Amino acid sequence: MSATVPSPSTPASPRAFANEPVLELRRAEVRAAALEALAKLDATLPIEVPMLIGDELVRGEAFASVDPSAPERVVARAHAATAAHVDAAIGRATEAQRAWGATSAPERAALLRRAAELMRGQRTALAALAVRECGKPWPEADGDVCEAIDFLEYYATGAEALGRGRALIQLPGERNTMTYVPRGVTGVIAPWNFPLAILCGMTSAALATGNAVVVKPAEQAPACAKAVVDALHAAGVPHGALSLLPGGDEPGKALVADPRVHTIVFTGSCAAGLSILERAAKVEDNQFHIKKVVAEMGGKNVIIVDADADLDDVVPAVLSSAFGFAGQKCSAASRVLVHEHVADALAQRLIGAVATLKVGPAEDFATDVPPVIDAAARERVRDYTAQGAAAAARAAVATDAVPDADGFYVAPALLIGLPDEHPVIADEIFGPVLAMQAVRSIGEACDRVDAARFALTGGLFSRSPRTVEEVAARTPVGNLYVNREITGAMVGRQPFGGGRLSGTGPKAGGPDYLTQFVEARAVTENTVRHGLVV
Amino acid sequence: MLMNAADAEAGPDLEPRIATIGRELVAKMPTARRTPRAAVERRVMGAMVADPELRAAVFRFVDVRPACDDPRELARHLGELLAEADDSPLARRGAALADGPLTRRATAKAAALGVEQMAQRFIIGADARDALPAIEQLWRAGAATTVDLLGEATVTEEEAESYARRCEETLLTLHEASRAWPSRERLERDALGPLPRVNLSVKVSALTPLLRPAAPERGIAGARARLRRLLAVARDTGAHLHVDMESFDTREAIAELTLALLSEPEFADRPSAGIVLQAYLTESPRHLDRLLAWTREHPRAQPLTIRLVKGAYWDHETVEALQHGWTPPVFQDRRACDRNYEALTRRLIDAQADGRVRAAIASHNLRSIAHAAAYADARGLDVELQVLRGLGDETQAALLAAGRRVRAYCPIGDLVAGMAYLVRRLLENTSNDSFLRAQAEGVDLTTLLEQP
Repeated sequence: MSATVPSPSTPASPRAFANEPVLELRRAEVRAAALEALAKLDATLPIEVPMLIGDELVRGEAFASVDPSAPERVVARAHAATAAHVDAAIGRATEAQRAWGATSAPERAALLRRAAELMRGQRTALAALAVRECGKPWPEADGDVCEAIDFLEYYATGAEALGRGRALIQLPGERNTMTYVPRGVTGVIAPWNFPLAILCGMTSAALATGNAVVVKPAEQAPACAKAVVDALHAAGVPHGALSLLPGGDEPGKALVADPRVHTIVFTGSCAAGLSILERAAKVEDNQFHIKKVVAEMGGKNVIIVDADADLDDVVPAVLSSAFGFAGQKCSAASRVLVHEHVADALAQRLIGAVATLKVGPAEDFATDVPPVIDAAARERVRDYTAQGAAAAARAAVATDAVPDADGFYVAPALLIGLPDEHPVIADEIFGPVLAMQAVRSIGEACDRVDAARFALTGGLFSRSPRTVEEVAARTPVGNLYVNREITGAMVGRQPFGGGRLSGTGPKAGGPDYLTQFVEARAVTENTVRHGLVV
Repeated sequence: MLMNAADAEAGPDLEPRIATIGRELVAKMPTARRTPRAAVERRVMGAMVADPELRAAVFRFVDVRPACDDPRELARHLGELLAEADDSPLARRGAALADGPLTRRATAKAAALGVEQMAQRFIIGADARDALPAIEQLWRAGAATTVDLLGEATVTEEEAESYARRCEETLLTLHEASRAWPSRERLERDALGPLPRVNLSVKVSALTPLLRPAAPERGIAGARARLRRLLAVARDTGAHLHVDMESFDTREAIAELTLALLSEPEFADRPSAGIVLQAYLTESPRHLDRLLAWTREHPRAQPLTIRLVKGAYWDHETVEALQHGWTPPVFQDRRACDRNYEALTRRLIDAQADGRVRAAIASHNLRSIAHAAAYADARGLDVELQVLRGLGDETQAALLAAGRRVRAYCPIGDLVAGMAYLVRRLLENTSNDSFLRAQAEGVDLTTLLEQP
């Protein structure tokens, strides 16, 4: 007699999922609709973002998020959580955990899909919010909305598959099953650069697998966080299972330290990520579990350009990878290593191309490089650029392109021939600064990539199949892009995340991500009775 | 909209005429293979059609050829690319040759030479001066030309400026040389007036690095001064300036800029100028509405020429749309596309009959050509037919023999610039939907001339 064998499952079959189509902004009528949504949003600003602790709206010390393109425009008035608020929210989450964890995977998946549908119904409004609150240009803001929807759909499908368990070896006389159970209360600490997508992805992965969540969004993007949380609540996620705590460091630290939290999902800087890992490792007296940290940290991403590359393709891809959204993507290119045979030709073309970049407000479709997120970022980027320009063999800093306006604008910069130990080469700047260095061979370029702390994304331009194979085999980066730009990972197509100090590497939007949020349970039942297999 | 032309039929009486003209043209095509090289190329093309992996390897080799200046690099790339096509026996044989220590250099050299010779068939010269003898030869044989300057993508203002300068120099060089050409009445005058001897096709994407799909106004502003300069040179030398159409991303900017400049008083009478209508775009009937509306508002001494093409970026448009989840802007059904081509042909010829535009029907599809000729004949008009240098040579010869007005689109450029062009032409030529491929594979004439 054979026991029932659970069918082998593939989380998220690629056929069941299709990416949300991005807006076709090359059409004038689509652009007009986007601007209309923006005007509608502007009439509602500032948006009030109280804390949401269970079903209670809680007010605290107010703080503002502003439009980086015009800082006098207040986008949100949010209420900052303190450690006491965190304590209350985790209390509610702990209460809610049992019931939420007991719902079936298909039930939870249905809620996520409903949230996706709700967000689909407000595509341009949500994009407009990201334009205003984070200075994301339209194509990127819209991409952010689409990616948020993609995460909801992809993790819904993935959670259903995971809910069916995994196949095990079965022998006569025993029945073996493996199922997944939620780990427990999850703290989400989200960044501002993908204010909808990353927050939604981290939150929905935890919810899909049956974990109650407390979300702490970035200080710069509370209104975007509220939009995602509202959609999930409206779809039917119980309030106890999802709390929202706007604020700065204090609530984040309290969330990481609390012994009732089982999983911490973080995307942000390397320094913050390492300190979370350190704090989370400490087990309190009343804590009977080991916390898991899922961290997506920095990058210092390199594009390698071989001597046989087509520079016609390289120049636009490098420009968009380095300067799109002012370089404020974890995946952005910040360094080019170019074969010496084509180094001069590429330098000349890139210098000329940087001069064509238009710096301007995020809502202007003509803008190539929007402002950076805040005044502190602007000062940091300017410092790096000044230091780099002083030390570089050649520098192209598009100072003339910077509008004479109050936005947090910085000039896109190309710095050529800096030494490896220069801070511009070594540090993650998170701004529109690109360093270019010549190498004698692709092997040397790979050695330099190997010598770096980060390993998130990378690019290679080569038309030699063997070179592509060799670089792919030895690169440490989590996402290698060949003969294209190195940003714009799509859910289900380019699972995203890196190794080394770039993160713990489970690949958001990929088939393995959800396993971070569950624990496996194996049950073996003896089916022999009185010497007979029954 | 003038009429719902996309749905209109050519008329039952036209079909017999189309069949007759088509058969006559085939009869007039040069049958003897004039050079052994053409026969070799035909065999290569045949092999590529039958063997998709080999086809991919050949494309990629052609693509990388200009980046390999030393023979070792060339041999390495050839070997690696052929090795990738491991399901193809022919590619495996090639890979063995390209890897063999004794045969490596020779194989790579032969392959490189083959590519160069193929490129030369499509490219009429390295620069305007170099191309003059071939252009004059065509003129003497009774074929007009339009010259297109190939080049690298424009990513800087300097590159845009350099392209504009090359265009200017080409106009002046051709103007100077064309004065000594013998008179060819058929090419120098039609019912609407005189036709310039010199004809240059330009690309707006080469005139500015600022084309942005979501901000057409930037590309328009970026290219405006340079295109105006070229229009002025064309006007002053009596040449025709034709603005090519490119990918759908840039269509709006190109159309708006061209019409805006031609609306300016200084260009109201001259030069003779033109624009392109891409029939593979599902929205092309509306694009023609817009063009015809413009011609009504802006009557010109030299009527606007509208070149009707199928469109050369089908793969690009389809792949881009699918990757973004958009409805492709191009017809996915070949017959629907061919029907649209014919409907647009009739509308253009009707507009030419009204004296508002000059139609130029650019195609290598025998049915499309025969349809245009039959419809123009029925309306008693002389319509210009256009072919691509290298790809449409036989069609051109047949059209000349049939006494029809033909213009050959002639790219000029060096080897590097020629490769991207060559890759596109090869792709077109060996794609499943290619009319030339069907013709080469021996599909019978009745089928080829069937109403789409």
